[in-house]
Amino acid sequence: MPEYKGMVQPVRATPDEMRKIFAEPVPDEQKPEKAIEYLDEIRKKFRSFVVAMESCVKCGQCAENCHTYLGTRDPNNIPANRAELIRKIYRRYFTLEGRWFGKLVGAEDISLDVIEQWYSYFYQCSQCRRCAHVCPFGIDTCEVTFIGRQLLHWLGITPKLHAAVGGAMEKVGNHTGLPKPGIVDTLEFMSEEIMDEFGVEVEFPVDKPDSDIIYIPSSADFLLNPYTLMGAGMFFTYIGANWCIPSNVTEAGNFGLLFDQYYTQRGNVNRLLNAAHELNVKKIVWGECGHGWRAAKMYVPSLADRPVRWPLTHVHDEAAELIRRGELKLNPENNPEPVTLHDPCNYVRACGLNDNMRTIMNAVTVDFREMNPHGVDNFCCGGGSGILFDDPEMYQRRIQLSQKKADQVRATGVGKDGNGILCAPCSICKAQLYPMVEEHELGVHVHGLIDLLAKALVWK
Amino acid sequence: MKLLIGQILPYITVTLFTLGVLYRLGRWVGPRIVHNITLSPWPKTNTEVAIRVGSEAFLFRNLFRFDKALWFGAIMMHLALLNIIGGHVVGFGFLGEQFALIPGLGISPELSTEMSDMLGTVFGILLFVALLYLLFRRLTLTPVKLVSKPSDNLWLIYLIVLVGVGNIMRLFHDFGVGYEQVRDYIVALALFQPVTHMELLNNGFFLTHYLLVQILLIVFPYSKLMHLFGMFAERWIVNRVYKDPAPGIPNIDVAAARRAGIGIPSDDAAEEGV
Amino acid sequence: MPCLTVNGVDIELDEDGFMIDPDLWNEDVARAFADSEGISELNEDHWKVINYLRDYFKQYHIAPMVRKLCQETSCSLKYIYDLFPSGPAKGACKLAGLPKPTGCV
Repeated sequence: MPEYKGMVQPVRATPDEMRKIFAEPVPDEQKPEKAIEYLDEIRKKFRSFVVAMESCVKCGQCAENCHTYLGTRDPNNIPANRAELIRKIYRRYFTLEGRWFGKLVGAEDISLDVIEQWYSYFYQCSQCRRCAHVCPFGIDTCEVTFIGRQLLHWLGITPKLHAAVGGAMEKVGNHTGLPKPGIVDTLEFMSEEIMDEFGVEVEFPVDKPDSDIIYIPSSADFLLNPYTLMGAGMFFTYIGANWCIPSNVTEAGNFGLLFDQYYTQRGNVNRLLNAAHELNVKKIVWGECGHGWRAAKMYVPSLADRPVRWPLTHVHDEAAELIRRGELKLNPENNPEPVTLHDPCNYVRACGLNDNMRTIMNAVTVDFREMNPHGVDNFCCGGGSGILFDDPEMYQRRIQLSQKKADQVRATGVGKDGNGILCAPCSICKAQLYPMVEEHELGVHVHGLIDLLAKALVWK
Repeated sequence: MKLLIGQILPYITVTLFTLGVLYRLGRWVGPRIVHNITLSPWPKTNTEVAIRVGSEAFLFRNLFRFDKALWFGAIMMHLALLNIIGGHVVGFGFLGEQFALIPGLGISPELSTEMSDMLGTVFGILLFVALLYLLFRRLTLTPVKLVSKPSDNLWLIYLIVLVGVGNIMRLFHDFGVGYEQVRDYIVALALFQPVTHMELLNNGFFLTHYLLVQILLIVFPYSKLMHLFGMFAERWIVNRVYKDPAPGIPNIDVAAARRAGIGIPSDDAAEEGV
Repeated sequence: MPCLTVNGVDIELDEDGFMIDPDLWNEDVARAFADSEGISELNEDHWKVINYLRDYFKQYHIAPMVRKLCQETSCSLKYIYDLFPSGPAKGACKLAGLPKPTGCV
């Protein structure tokens, strides 16, 4: 039962699982001093970290705006306090006031207890950046948890879920461990399903050289989100694109962003650039994944080891553009159910997709109801940053973390007759919301946005 | 006491404050902005960035959007503070006659002095009340209580005492000092002339107020008061212009693809005469 | 490391109770898992799902898409939850000796 002195923690990876992703666990007795050493390196490298450490005035505005605090009422889930878990160490060892005035300024000595506290709370943050959005200064607690998790990773503390995903990324270039034969078989199945259900002929080319674009789907689509995968195929076929899916990096996500931005995140960036180069494409089009889109759009330029000559856009960007130009013939009556949109955090607060999602939504549905708040003020689904743990304690936490979202959905009334659609165009959101809509009894089905677009396409 | 607080300490204060701020800012400038962590939606031009940052720094936009009570307390406190600091500089510099210098308003020097007095009094009281309100919040509201450390409460109490002494000097004529006295004193300090004989250094309230200010300035670089700079440093990181790549899938002609019936099973396509 | 002993053979399991070495699977292992999952008896439909999963995994080294599983075994998703209360991923895949699925699933 993963718990440390009353704090829930995710199950952690074994040393072997860590070694698969080139992390060597540090023995417990060395962890405190190593933590300070790594923290020193970080603070000398990342301005975002230092400014976040030194600019917070403890106004407390972030508290009632964070879904983790609202759902758990745990004081350490207040973003300012979550940052304080590492700030108290930073102050103690790297500032004059911390060294001289200790507890008065909230400084504390490092210990294994503090490190375990980091593990518990940095993995309850879903890195949704709502705190940064509401903070008067824009202090990004997500950046603090990025760095906190990176430190923990270097100490050898990483959840089993994340390390296993890292291992799968290392092996096959996607999160679910999907090898090429499985990819090809599933895509053939998708073609059959599309013919059965929609009566159109869609082929999913894999590794086709001299394609104009590569499409990067989320690997979870291959297991859990068939309509998103079908939808993408239908969209690209409808517009006559010369496209393919690269089998070596069939992953819109990049869990490296969430726990190891050095080795793991870079790995898939390199795979992506290699694939784009080998297949000689002109553009890279991204599939439905929140953190993955942020990792691609914002981090590829800074993580790449070569000039990046392929523009990256999101499939929503492309679809919205074609809708604006009137080039897609759509019948919104094909989506008659009441629909509400869950804005994936990374889409709206990190990638600017708010308007494009709504352009598509308004064109393909007849009964679209906004949640409150929505758009850039939206609340996280509770599963962000891969905290999709299913051991009993953390699973209960997930139910609490999605409480705010459940209340929002219920308030829209889309689930009243049991046929509502909760559109959540992100794989982690889908993975979180599939069980959570049952736990909270919301009466809705979870779908992606491309799913709805594909259903609305008029082919003749 | 007069010698220490009035003659010696000011030079130490200015030195420590300047070096301290430069040192702390240097620790921010050294590390880089490694990845692009801008918040969306992002501004499209540098003008929009300036407007956004300006509205956050001077109008407290986010506070207004999400917590109007806190916004009210915070902006009242900061506006009053800004006016008081400005008033100290301008008022002492121009002996309270600065308003007479504004062309076309026809304000006499005497009226200007009276206005300066009145503004000083009003903003002093506003600042005092706003600080009390913020301290009240910190001691009573649960989320704010939960994030507060001892130093957060201490700062508010310290400022309340400092502003309180200043208000006493303003409200009770016997305890106040004249504009001219302060101006002469500051000029003498700046020119490294002796000041210990000056009348205002016999005023206990002045010495207290002056000492509290100096301690504040010495401690400033090592406290959360650095949020003055932090506001602009952080916003420089998270509010920046970003240029999206243009949408548009290469080499597609959707209309032609639809005319050619791409995706429609071949027997249907034959029917359409394609 | 938790362990399941079946017919005298020790089978290593991960923290979630999934087999670490899929090759050690046999039908008795499935029955042992069924006990721990609260399934009193494995009927024809159980075995249909389990065997389909094993065959697919042997061929493709990954679990099949849930939709495909439902289609090929003619079992609706709801029925699969009836057969395996923990669901296709955490229930059926476990009994079929597949490793635990990773990623956003």
